[in-house]
Amino acid sequence: MSTSTDPTEKIATTGTTPSVSLRGLTKVFGGTTVVDDLSLDLTSGEFFSLLGPSGCGKTTTLRMIAGFSDPTAGTILVDGEDVTSTPPHKRDVNTVFQSYALFEHLDVRGNVGFGLRRKGLDKRTIDQRVSEMLELVELGDRGKERPSRLSGGQRQRVALARALINQPKVLLLDEPLAALDLKLRHQMQAELKQIQREVGITFLFVTHDQDEALSMSDRVAIMNQGVIEQCGTPEDVYEHPTSVFAAGFIGTSNLMTGTWSDGCVCVTPTLRIPAPGHQGSAEGDTLSITVRPEKVWLGDLTPQMFRLPGTIVETSYHGATTQYVVSIGPDLTVTVLEQNLPRMRAEDRWNPGDQVEMGWLPEHTVVLR
Amino acid sequence: MARGKLERKPLIPVVVTVIFFAWLYLPILAVALFSFNDKKSLSSFSGFSLRWYDALIHDSALIDSLAASLRIATIATLGSLVLGTMLALGLERVRSRRGRVIGAVTLLPLVTPEIVTGVAALLLFTGIGLKLSTTTVILAEITFSIAYVTVIVRGRLAGIALEVEEAARDLGCTPFQAVRLVILPTLLPALIGAGLLVFALVFDDFVLAFFTTGVDPQPLPVRVYSSIRFGVSPAINAIGTLMLLASGLLIVAALVIPRVLARGSSSLDLITGGDVR
Amino acid sequence: MATAVEAPKARKSPRSAQKTSLWGWLLALPTAWMVAFFVSSMAIIVLLSFGRTTNDGYPVFATSTANYRAIWNQVYLELFLRSLLYALATVVISALIAYPVAYVIALHGGRYKNALIAAIVVPFFASYLIRMYAWKALLSDDGLVNSALRGMGLTDGVTFLNTRWAVVGGLVYGFVVFMILPVYASLERLDVSLIEAGKDLYHSPVRTFFSVTLPATRAGLYGGVLLVFLPALGDFVSAQLLGGASTYMMGNLVQQQFAEGQNWPLGSALTVGMMAALTVLMVIYLRATATRTREL
Repeated sequence: MSTSTDPTEKIATTGTTPSVSLRGLTKVFGGTTVVDDLSLDLTSGEFFSLLGPSGCGKTTTLRMIAGFSDPTAGTILVDGEDVTSTPPHKRDVNTVFQSYALFEHLDVRGNVGFGLRRKGLDKRTIDQRVSEMLELVELGDRGKERPSRLSGGQRQRVALARALINQPKVLLLDEPLAALDLKLRHQMQAELKQIQREVGITFLFVTHDQDEALSMSDRVAIMNQGVIEQCGTPEDVYEHPTSVFAAGFIGTSNLMTGTWSDGCVCVTPTLRIPAPGHQGSAEGDTLSITVRPEKVWLGDLTPQMFRLPGTIVETSYHGATTQYVVSIGPDLTVTVLEQNLPRMRAEDRWNPGDQVEMGWLPEHTVVLR
Repeated sequence: MARGKLERKPLIPVVVTVIFFAWLYLPILAVALFSFNDKKSLSSFSGFSLRWYDALIHDSALIDSLAASLRIATIATLGSLVLGTMLALGLERVRSRRGRVIGAVTLLPLVTPEIVTGVAALLLFTGIGLKLSTTTVILAEITFSIAYVTVIVRGRLAGIALEVEEAARDLGCTPFQAVRLVILPTLLPALIGAGLLVFALVFDDFVLAFFTTGVDPQPLPVRVYSSIRFGVSPAINAIGTLMLLASGLLIVAALVIPRVLARGSSSLDLITGGDVR
Repeated sequence: MATAVEAPKARKSPRSAQKTSLWGWLLALPTAWMVAFFVSSMAIIVLLSFGRTTNDGYPVFATSTANYRAIWNQVYLELFLRSLLYALATVVISALIAYPVAYVIALHGGRYKNALIAAIVVPFFASYLIRMYAWKALLSDDGLVNSALRGMGLTDGVTFLNTRWAVVGGLVYGFVVFMILPVYASLERLDVSLIEAGKDLYHSPVRTFFSVTLPATRAGLYGGVLLVFLPALGDFVSAQLLGGASTYMMGNLVQQQFAEGQNWPLGSALTVGMMAALTVLMVIYLRATATRTREL
């Protein structure tokens, strides 16, 4: 299990050239360091997400790769070639913008074929490739329409087709689904993933939505304040966060701090949570730990589980699941997520004020830096 | 949808509005009406006649003036469109202090009383020894009209996201190609609207032309002014009606055509929706 | 861990230099034009204001303040004050007209809004001169209005022309659109629920107007005041066609020096004086309105 912060470590060590390599990429804007010494390798053909809150530097990084922003320091390589000082129109990189940025004076076919016309291909080839691309994004019958007549989802697909048709070494997507409503967004997520698999082009997807990143990506990098906090597969990042920020940004983190003592993290004198397998801390060190809400059981505990008593504080029903907030000490609560199947009936579920015995498997305790 | 629509119509403002429209159009309609009068009177309409229009066609000096005005308006429109668009594009992209100063200077003609710009132009041309003629009128009109074009084009440009230009470059355009292939075509409706507006304004313009015109041919408004100094007459009504009609149609076109070409963006939006500051 | 880190080096990208130069060139030509034709012409006015006229009647540059001393006399100052008065009257009357009209169109116009505004805009941008003439024709002693009044037996003939009301009326007719448009724009952007809340609160349409509508559309009003006052102050066409010697404005005085009087240096000085006064007024005005519009 590769849980590392080194984003230059590739999953598949096949020795192929990474589609994109960032080395020491830095951007300083008027005194603020927006991107700080970033290094990253994208494997050819992977769907890579750059995830982080607003202002973390993900969009700036994207723009530097596209060529719209000059790095203050560092290098950018696309398919092994240094493009740091190459202008955007000469880079083999294409972008899908957040606002789609379609050309209103051209119809859909005109938009999609724009890049190919700049490359000087002949009309017949362009027409053919445009038709193929429109089929791919399921806009085959909309070729002659103006962008202003299309819905948000359709415009998004035109933007995608317009970029993909040029077969770039990497496709940059800047929060392209942000403007769509929830249902459409889920649909587009699935479609994007499928299209990416079909064309096999490396996608660099920027988003602040963790669900999006987890569901679509081969790898995710969590960015915060200009640096990559953690990089790995969605499972790595979710199950084994390496920092407090990473744990908190994705999913709910039941964050607890305590002192390391005798194989346990002592959160309070009475609450000593075992963390087997953790190494490298000395007696007395302060550590943060987290346990994911779905790993915590209320009742029906197995013998291997670490147990502790708690009092239900809040419950909220979410249809398939119920979320409980359980108090385990003064000012200390744990959020627990349960599937409703064993307890479908309301009277079977826990209520505020109930005393419960809860627990989780010791290997589900994650120690953070 | 209640937005923008109140329930009861307030009586007094509506009355004022009706009176206003009547007051606005009454003189114009009167001018038009009496241009068809078969007698010389401007107060009693005796019969329908086209004699005054007929006289216009045979007034060679007037025809010369008309031709001159058309020439002036055409060249001034083209000149100010080119310079004004260049200025608008440059101002939108150059965000430095120098850019802001230039932007302010370009707007000065709009807030300067026309008599001042007229006098200034006159002094400049005389000062450098340039003889007054339709050329000097053209030069002055271009200088004055650039501001209108810049304001209108900038307004439209602001509506075109920066990302569109970036998309063009992302897809293989040099910055220059991005302007030529994407920005200018998207600006086209605004350019047409601005062009029509400027043409109408320059064609009708009196004050600036008055100070910068040569002896012969004089632009149409200047010649009409000389006639008016002598007194009112149906002949002036006739030429006046034609001028009003021509400019009116141009302005209507300036408002309508851009809206037809590009949904929802007409010069009117830019006039009413924008801040002159 | 394959981190081949290269020494970060700060580079000046050649691309950014190219980027600014394209736009820089775009600015260069029109700027040069404006400097050549506008800025320099303004400068010449100032220069010539210190000039004098030769015996043959030719204006020459000099360093005399005689012209400025000449302006500082009662006749000219009276003229200046009269122009100020007319321009202010124009502004006030324009505001009184603009608000009801813009209000009705913006809030009760429905889908005819744009057509109504166009119906106002079109005549206003079509030939200012002819429209002034139209009033001259209507208001003259044997014009339509007088003959209608005589026909109704009301009067023997009223002299409309050559009065200050005709001139101000002409100015309003010429420039009220510049008040209507900004006020309309402000009203258009106004949230109607504000007015309805005001009506609930104040129960009187007048009070609602002064307490809610007017403050909320301040920006449009302030803009309109400026856009009407400036051209009105320097106008000479209205006074020329609809007024007489007793209603002369600054603009007429200036025009005389250049067209008939042939005293260009004096005319320049008058123009400079007018521009100076305008600038002072504008600065005071902008200061006064800026502090209040900051919240907007």
